[in-house]
Amino acid sequence: MKRILVADDEMSIRLLYSEELREEGYEVFTASNGIEALEVVDKEPLDLIILDIKMPEMSGIEVLRQIKEKYPNLPVLLSSAYSEYKQDFGTWASEEYLVKSSDLEDLKAAVRKHLKD
Amino acid sequence: MTLNRLSFLTQLINLFTSAVAYHERVDSFVYLLSRNLKVDLTLFFSLDKTRGTLSLSAGSNSLGAERPRLEFSLGQGIVGETAQKRSPLVVSAQETGVRTRNEVLDKIFPDYQTLAGFPVADDNFLYGVLLLIDKDPRTYSEYQQETILIACRMLAGNIRQALLHEEAKKRIAELAVLFDVAKSVVSTMELQALLERVVSISAKVMNARGAILRIIDEVSQQVQVSSEYGIIPKGFPGMDDIAGQAPTASGELTSVTAEIRDAEGQKHYYAGIPLNLKGHLKGMLCLYDKMTPNYRFQQFDSENIQLLQTLAGMATGSIENALAFQQIESLAARNERMVNVLTVLHDISSVLMTTIDLDAILTILVRALTLTNAMAYDRAMVFLIDKSGETLTEVRHACQVNPPPGVPLQHALIMDHHGNAPASATIGNEPIRVPLKDDQGIIARTVLFRKPFHIVRADRHPQVNQAIRNILTGKEFLSVPLLAKDEVTGVIVVDNHLSQRPFKDEDLHFLTMFANQAALAIENSRLVATIEASSHELTLIRERMLESDRLAAMSSMAEGLAHEIRNPLVSIGGFARRIDKVVAPDDPLRQYVDVIIYEVGRLETILRQMFDYTGETLGHFQEHDINALVADSLTLIQRELDKHNIRVVRELAEMSPVYCDERQIKLVFYNIFQNAQQAMEHGGVMTIRTFPLEKSDGLYAAIAVSDTGGGIAPELVFNIFNPFFTTKEQGTGLGLSIAQRIVARHYGDIEINNELGKGITFTVTLPIAKYCLIPQGKTAPPATDAEED
Repeated sequence: MKRILVADDEMSIRLLYSEELREEGYEVFTASNGIEALEVVDKEPLDLIILDIKMPEMSGIEVLRQIKEKYPNLPVLLSSAYSEYKQDFGTWASEEYLVKSSDLEDLKAAVRKHLKD
Repeated sequence: MTLNRLSFLTQLINLFTSAVAYHERVDSFVYLLSRNLKVDLTLFFSLDKTRGTLSLSAGSNSLGAERPRLEFSLGQGIVGETAQKRSPLVVSAQETGVRTRNEVLDKIFPDYQTLAGFPVADDNFLYGVLLLIDKDPRTYSEYQQETILIACRMLAGNIRQALLHEEAKKRIAELAVLFDVAKSVVSTMELQALLERVVSISAKVMNARGAILRIIDEVSQQVQVSSEYGIIPKGFPGMDDIAGQAPTASGELTSVTAEIRDAEGQKHYYAGIPLNLKGHLKGMLCLYDKMTPNYRFQQFDSENIQLLQTLAGMATGSIENALAFQQIESLAARNERMVNVLTVLHDISSVLMTTIDLDAILTILVRALTLTNAMAYDRAMVFLIDKSGETLTEVRHACQVNPPPGVPLQHALIMDHHGNAPASATIGNEPIRVPLKDDQGIIARTVLFRKPFHIVRADRHPQVNQAIRNILTGKEFLSVPLLAKDEVTGVIVVDNHLSQRPFKDEDLHFLTMFANQAALAIENSRLVATIEASSHELTLIRERMLESDRLAAMSSMAEGLAHEIRNPLVSIGGFARRIDKVVAPDDPLRQYVDVIIYEVGRLETILRQMFDYTGETLGHFQEHDINALVADSLTLIQRELDKHNIRVVRELAEMSPVYCDERQIKLVFYNIFQNAQQAMEHGGVMTIRTFPLEKSDGLYAAIAVSDTGGGIAPELVFNIFNPFFTTKEQGTGLGLSIAQRIVARHYGDIEINNELGKGITFTVTLPIAKYCLIPQGKTAPPATDAEED
């Protein structure tokens, strides 16, 4: 079973994403900020991460940079309410940049795409 | 025989104090002497000093109707000897040689026996000799001789008086003449009238047939003024000949008299009197043919010359005054003309000041040139240099017009007869164009040489352009440059083809003054137009900047809102969809859930359309310190550089802020640094230099990044910015391509300097904010929409 981490400071989002992904048959971990997310990444072997950008403690971009440093092959999907972070090249290290939407089909399609192998 | 001396002398005193004329007195004297001394004949010989002769002038007896001419020279005969000795001399005809020596007396008294001579003299002068002749031998007692000598002395005194009287009369007459002359010459200031008076008076005083007065300018050898009177004989020497003959002692001319014979052998006399005028003027008064009362020509004597010189001297002062007066009058006339022209120029200038519109200025110019109450040229053309600076183009022309009646010049310049603005026109359908080259004729040369030209015969002048010649049709014209602030902007051409009025130096002078004013007006108009255009441009830029500030503020607010709204919407919509999955198709709740999903979707669409767009468009364009951006970008890649043992050298100059999107520019630097790092997998030196760079269009911030990676093959250099081009295993080939696009959007540039065997230097140049006015036609700030596509 593929293991996915959902890092987002919004509890409702964490809940929504976890339920949807579990239904898809993934094992889901959650983190409510950047530090927590890095701890989970180090502790649990993961197959994919869904990362919010604007979070307390540490921004998603910094989290992304550290993750990519340590685990360059671990796919990270950015999921943000902001579209303009796309211009920050710090986000370009991610596999996908998704603007949050209540329709999760795009997100799930991206997850499937990066877990294909 | 007794002599009553008292009676005799009393008679003489009575005679000499009487009012009878001089000659009659002398006649009476000899008669009285003969009677009282019982002498047969008494004669008086008067002395002519100049000739040295004594000639008979009175006798006691009648000597006949025609007095015989009897003349002794000094020392000759009894008369001559008496005169020489100045003492009485009595001789007898019997004495040897007496008859021979006095044979002239045989004509009138051949049978004389005794001759007695008595000098008529006073203490100083001898006036003549009294000769007493007797037909009998006789002696003169001492008493008689003494009496005769007293009588002679009395006669001498009387003669002297008479001579003085004559002299006085002559002097008085001369003074009267001079008085008349003086009165006459001061009675007028008009030069010509004065000269006429001087010549006519001189001729009349001298009783001469003709006279000329001429004043010559010695420098130009031109006759300044001259006047003639009476008959000037043909073939007479001219003024110059007479003046040339005059001896020039100490450079000043002196008077000259001479005679010549005409073709018929008639003798003529003339006199030349110089007028000593001040400065370089030379004057000469000539008189011809002095006449005697019986109409014979006569020589001018020294007294005549003296009188003429006095007369000339008096006239000289008056002539000088008249000359000065004439000069003052002509100066005054010139001043009046100048005041008129200056008034006109002032009026024109004040009208020119009322407008800055080039079209209006040009119309006023041609009107000022052709209005009869302004410059009044028959035709006028105005040329302006076009923007390229290579061609003169005719912009206006006009023909002479009368001003509308009763309208002052200032109004006439800006309205026609109907009170409307005058229509503008060019000659023919096509305006004349003259290329600005040396071989293109006078009008082009007026610009090139920056000087006015006065062409007298346009048809013959080799420098007149054919197009101009066709219009000016072989006549005189003026061409002056429009010169303001040391720059020629055009040319004014005028002619007088209808009136044929010739141009004077003054015309060129005034037209040049006019052209200077006109040029200033044109220059001002152009300056104002330039300032207006710049001001308009600045306003636009300012508006754009304000707009972008406003949008940035809105965008920033919108970003906050979008985030705040989007997260709850995602949750609401997401859970609604989850509910939707579990609600049975026919459950009444399903309808409500669908409404929630639909409405959330609608809100999300609105957010996406509004904020995703603005957020992307209005990035983070601000003024940034380029060195800080370099440092920030460097921290992102520092770990990689350390890992590959790459040393970084920074040579950062202090730089003005650059208006840019910091995230994009950081990406540019990041990509270039990464490129350098990848080129030096086994270590090396990366040098980063920042420096200000002056380019033709302004100041730029330059960032040069050099590596020591050995460079790349020259044939590959041209591909380096192409997308997906890479020489590395790891690279995507997009880094430099993206960098180049970002820099281009900032109106900057990336240059590459590849040194094979050494390394590559990338130089990024970005316009510095305050020197970079965003060019027209481009939008600011630049849109960023490509990288995400």
